[in-house]
Amino acid sequence: MTRNISVDDETARRFLEEMLRIDVFEEETKDRFGEGEIPGFVHLSGGHEGSHVGMGAAMRDEDWLAVGGARLIGQYIAKGVPLPEIMAELYGRVDGSNKGHGGQMHVSDVDRKLYGHAATIGSGQNPAVGLALAEEMKGTDNVAVTTIGDGGTSRGSFHTALVFAAYWDLPVVFVIENNQWAISTPSESLPPDSLSDYGIPHNMPTESIDGSDVEEVYRAVSDAIERARNGEGPSVIESRVVRLVPHFEGDKETYRDEEEYERLKEEKDPIENYRERLIENDVVTEAEIEDMIANIETEVEEAVEFARESPEPEPEAAYEHVYRMPLYGQGE
Amino acid sequence: MAREITYVEAIAEALDEELSRDDDVILFGEDVEEFGGNFGETEGLYEKHGRDRVRNTPLSEIGIAGMALGAAVGGVRPVAELQFADFAATAGDEVFNQIPKQPYVSGGQIEAPLTIFAPSGAGIGAGAQHSQSVHSWLGNVPGWVVVTATTPYDAKGLFKSAIRDDNPVFFLPHKMLSETKGEVPDEEYTLPLGEAAVEEEGEDVTVVATQLMFHRAKEAAAEVDADVEIVNPRTFAPLDTETIAESVRKTGRLVVVDETVERYGTQGHIANEIVENDFFSLDAPPKTIGVKDVPIPLSPPLEQEVLPSADRIADGIESLF
Repeated sequence: MTRNISVDDETARRFLEEMLRIDVFEEETKDRFGEGEIPGFVHLSGGHEGSHVGMGAAMRDEDWLAVGGARLIGQYIAKGVPLPEIMAELYGRVDGSNKGHGGQMHVSDVDRKLYGHAATIGSGQNPAVGLALAEEMKGTDNVAVTTIGDGGTSRGSFHTALVFAAYWDLPVVFVIENNQWAISTPSESLPPDSLSDYGIPHNMPTESIDGSDVEEVYRAVSDAIERARNGEGPSVIESRVVRLVPHFEGDKETYRDEEEYERLKEEKDPIENYRERLIENDVVTEAEIEDMIANIETEVEEAVEFARESPEPEPEAAYEHVYRMPLYGQGE
Repeated sequence: MAREITYVEAIAEALDEELSRDDDVILFGEDVEEFGGNFGETEGLYEKHGRDRVRNTPLSEIGIAGMALGAAVGGVRPVAELQFADFAATAGDEVFNQIPKQPYVSGGQIEAPLTIFAPSGAGIGAGAQHSQSVHSWLGNVPGWVVVTATTPYDAKGLFKSAIRDDNPVFFLPHKMLSETKGEVPDEEYTLPLGEAAVEEEGEDVTVVATQLMFHRAKEAAAEVDADVEIVNPRTFAPLDTETIAESVRKTGRLVVVDETVERYGTQGHIANEIVENDFFSLDAPPKTIGVKDVPIPLSPPLEQEVLPSADRIADGIESLF
């Protein structure tokens, strides 16, 4: 059998491990939300894990990630935010990455160059262009990667971001995770053949890839980042994935065809497919994968414990972080 | 030493000095290069500071505001111009949901030291979508520092502070004041944000007013038989309530004049602050005067009808005695 793995064994194992980390963390999140421990909404990434991990692996620590779309948590993990900080933020606790001010839709980690997420979908792309402008002005070769879902591409703000990035030829990589559903509205009704075609009128390199294949995402995003680093400007990538979970926990998904859903689970689960591929290629054994999962489960349990033990914020903290005081010149 | 310059020259000087002082300051907006801005406010800056620092943008307020946010988070100090304050609405999500909230939801990690500046106000027959005063919209979203300017001295000193402040600041000059002249020091200066100024001292009544309304309040003060103290808030959010309250404690009467519409305008908020916290310092109910609750019409007689006139302000003052 010919080897169909495009990366070295260590990288391949890391890809699988990172996808499993997202999966285990999110399964636990779903359970904790179900038990009422996590407030608000929860949007999970099932089916997007390969896209998140491939993209995260293509980035340097110094590159910015501006998370868009509705599949968030997996991207925070892929950018390297420690699991306890993410979980504590989901719980709204003081040790969360945002001290409980942000929650699931706003996890940010400026030190790790995670800008965070514009929860009004499609509004995160222009800030990403601004981040790229700042890096360029500072004379670095860092880039900004920004993600959006198929639904978000219908927002004018997304198209404006393409205009501005192209106008100044800025180092931005636009990744469209097309999971075929904007909540219940199918993306197949959108006219472009591929959503990456939105980059064509701006003369940007565009590519439409199978986003459920982690290696394919890694390759395509790495190529786009390299172009951006070399001063060759922005790119648009459509990462075609499937949504193997509800839009949010509690969505009954009455709009989905059950047979089609089952087929997609069978054929397009990025983790299952990659797992089989690595085993077939003798990169890992079943036993090694079981070990990986056991270690991750321990990590995730520790993250939950950390979140549970972290105190609720004092109510007065609601008034912090609105303004940096004193204002300029005030009280002088 | 001081000299007389126009309001718009004061704005251009503030930009020029801040671009020279700090390499991280970057100015962008529509037509800020050779064209020099709609009112001449960016004239000569592109020639002096170059295209990296002074940049024309495509026509999209969404892009200008959104990019300013990202650039600020990324470590530069963007000064982004919207050609008219009304266009805060065409960048609605950026202005109302993103910029003022990202520092908060990040738990203070995200610092967004950006300034958006946009000429506001009515009086030049610019019509319903180029004449609004938007500081009540912005003041309604905690996270924005909202600054206005009344004189060339204000315009220069407050704009420079806005650029240096570490918060998102919305700076609103008034387009009717562009060519008005006033004394501005030769030497470098800044004015504090978040602090109101008692511009004229008086014993009988406090009038709170900025921008064009300040000048009309001065005319009104000359007409009435009362000793009027005029307070210029300078910053609408956060508001220096204490300086206003202190003045009312002295005079016992309050008139608030502003160019926001009377329905849910800033006037009501300012009056409420005094009614709730300093009720017993009042000798009469406070009077609020603003733009009538209609869009700004174009025809000059219609436009002047809905704006507070010096006569309306004078009547308002007299109604308290």
